[in-house]
Amino acid sequence: MSTIYILCIEDEAEVLDVIVNDISALEVVFPIEVGVTANEARKVIDEILENGDRIGLILCDHVLPGENGVELLVELQSRPETKETRKVLLTGQAGLDATVKAVNKAGLNRYIAKPWHKEDLVEICREELTSYVIKTTTNLLPFMGILNAEKLSEAMRERGIPSDA
Amino acid sequence: MRTKRKKGVNRVRLAGLALGFIGFLLPFFIQFDGLSFAGHMALGIFLMAASFWMLEPIPIYSTSLLVIMMQVLLLSAQGPVYKASSLPETTPVSLQENLWQVPLSALDGNEAVYIRIDDKKTARVEVQVTEIGVDVAIINAPGLSEGDVIVTESGHWLIKYRAAHYSEYFRTMADPIIILFLGGFMLAGAAVKYNLDKNLTSVLLKPFGKKPMYIALGLMLVTAVLSAFMSNTATTAMMMTVVIPITAQFPPEDRFRTALALSVPIAANVGGIATPIGTPPNAIVIAALNQQGISIPFGEWMLLVMPIVIILLLVSWFTLCYLFPPTLSEFKLKLEGTFNTSGKAITLYVIFALTVILWITEAQHGIPSSMVAFLPITALTVTSVMTKEDIRSLPWDVLWLVAGGIALGVAMDNTGLATWIVSSISWETLPKLMLLLVFGVVAYMMSNFLSNTVTATLIIPLAISIGTSGIAGEGFNLIITCIFVGIACNIAMMLPISTPPNAIAMSTGFLKTSDMVKVGIIVGIIGLIVGLLIATFVWPFMI
Repeated sequence: MSTIYILCIEDEAEVLDVIVNDISALEVVFPIEVGVTANEARKVIDEILENGDRIGLILCDHVLPGENGVELLVELQSRPETKETRKVLLTGQAGLDATVKAVNKAGLNRYIAKPWHKEDLVEICREELTSYVIKTTTNLLPFMGILNAEKLSEAMRERGIPSDA
Repeated sequence: MRTKRKKGVNRVRLAGLALGFIGFLLPFFIQFDGLSFAGHMALGIFLMAASFWMLEPIPIYSTSLLVIMMQVLLLSAQGPVYKASSLPETTPVSLQENLWQVPLSALDGNEAVYIRIDDKKTARVEVQVTEIGVDVAIINAPGLSEGDVIVTESGHWLIKYRAAHYSEYFRTMADPIIILFLGGFMLAGAAVKYNLDKNLTSVLLKPFGKKPMYIALGLMLVTAVLSAFMSNTATTAMMMTVVIPITAQFPPEDRFRTALALSVPIAANVGGIATPIGTPPNAIVIAALNQQGISIPFGEWMLLVMPIVIILLLVSWFTLCYLFPPTLSEFKLKLEGTFNTSGKAITLYVIFALTVILWITEAQHGIPSSMVAFLPITALTVTSVMTKEDIRSLPWDVLWLVAGGIALGVAMDNTGLATWIVSSISWETLPKLMLLLVFGVVAYMMSNFLSNTVTATLIIPLAISIGTSGIAGEGFNLIITCIFVGIACNIAMMLPISTPPNAIAMSTGFLKTSDMVKVGIIVGIIGLIVGLLIATFVWPFMI
């Protein structure tokens, strides 16, 4: 089974540290990778995909040096390998236009305004990753301990009864 | 790291594939004494199936289908091998009253020839040889009469083996035991659809209070009861969703989390023993006994195995509580569940209850459990409780797996292969207890690494032929041996790969493999000992 990564993109080092720290409980199952710019993030993404692994969740800031976050998300939405990746905008400064674009063109799943509460962030990440694994992964059991067990078990029941072969 | 592991898996698959093909071809190049031609072909199929089932180059259910296809092609009367062949014939030359000249090759061991009835059928005639030439013989045969045609080759493959109609092999896919399982699947599928299993769990767990140890006991009992009627895997998957929120209440260093996470797969594996439909190895055992004309009623099976199931559940519970004592004195059990009261759900409850009651009381009313099983199959579809989509999502692969297993057993029996394999060992010198132990230990060991069903499929035909060929001598009980082997297959739960419930428990991340191995070995060994004692001292008085 391929590993599912979480990717955090944020240009301010201190903020990035806080994000990674807040969601560190998920790291046991979902390794966290980081990027400071859109370009760097792209490289990380390519590396992960080349290894045959997947990106389940992207937490992305909007204002970045160079290309902005929403543009990157739009691009990822058009790539088949990252289409299902759950996309979360974590920002304080995305204007209305950029936000509309993110929703319409990047299939944005969530918008988190800075500053955030740790519990909210973790909860959103868990929910989004739950949706991701339900949509993309055959064996949901490894995620029962860390993600939304209730939803996972519902999804498993809908898929049919596991057998004893 | 990952690519390396994948390569390793590929190598195993490749080895399995190669081994399967070599195994299949081997009997065509090597002649084994005492084994018929059909037996050679059955051996080829057996070796291929064993390699494929053990190393899994293809899914195990597809191996089963391959087995059935090969048997239809190679062993059935309508398959190309037997259809095209006909017995070579000659007319014996009449010399005097009762004296005939026949080709030397027509003589079977200098004591018989075979009259050719049609191109597939023969009749054996005892003869006395009076003179032997280079390629002819003179025989004294009062059984031969003018106009009889005899077979020129006494060793021809059609003589010792009567090829079965191909439907004999296809029929295994609708064997009564398969219907019984289908009935079980329909009930389980409907129970899951209407959340009956979850709600029952909430209700049944309530009386066990708040003390961790009693809740563990409750979890195990409820799991066992459910898995007696649902698949062990489905039960474990459902119960794990109950257990995971409980474990979250314990501090991470509390070892009782391990006890809880292990209690479910163990109870599910053990509970599967309890009824004929609990788990597929039971089906293999019952189907094989049915082939020999022995039927085991649903209720009788339950009575026979119940002591073992109860003892094993209690032993596992003690072991878990002893090895991983809880630090909390009580905890909350968040159980909510309201029974679905829609018309369809109520229909399901009624059909479920009725079916189970009819199954358990088989001895009283005499309707075979497979016939009863058609009640839920029909009633749940007639009432639209189960829709087309629900039926499609049933685990049909398990039915095919079991069907292939039954077919393999049929062919091994028909062709004399099973008897040939077991006759190489002098079983009669083994004490009966030892014989049971050997079968049990071998099944237990294999089943730890292989699918329980596959293990039963490979071992049960051998146990059957030891019984039917009589080579084990007096006091060998076929029923006891087969059920014991079935139990040994089911209690193998040492490793995460041993059974799907173990894999589920492992994948939750609460468990260390070493803990599973430790408890698995304890339960397995105690299970074998308890099973052996009950099989030796209790069952003979019940059967």
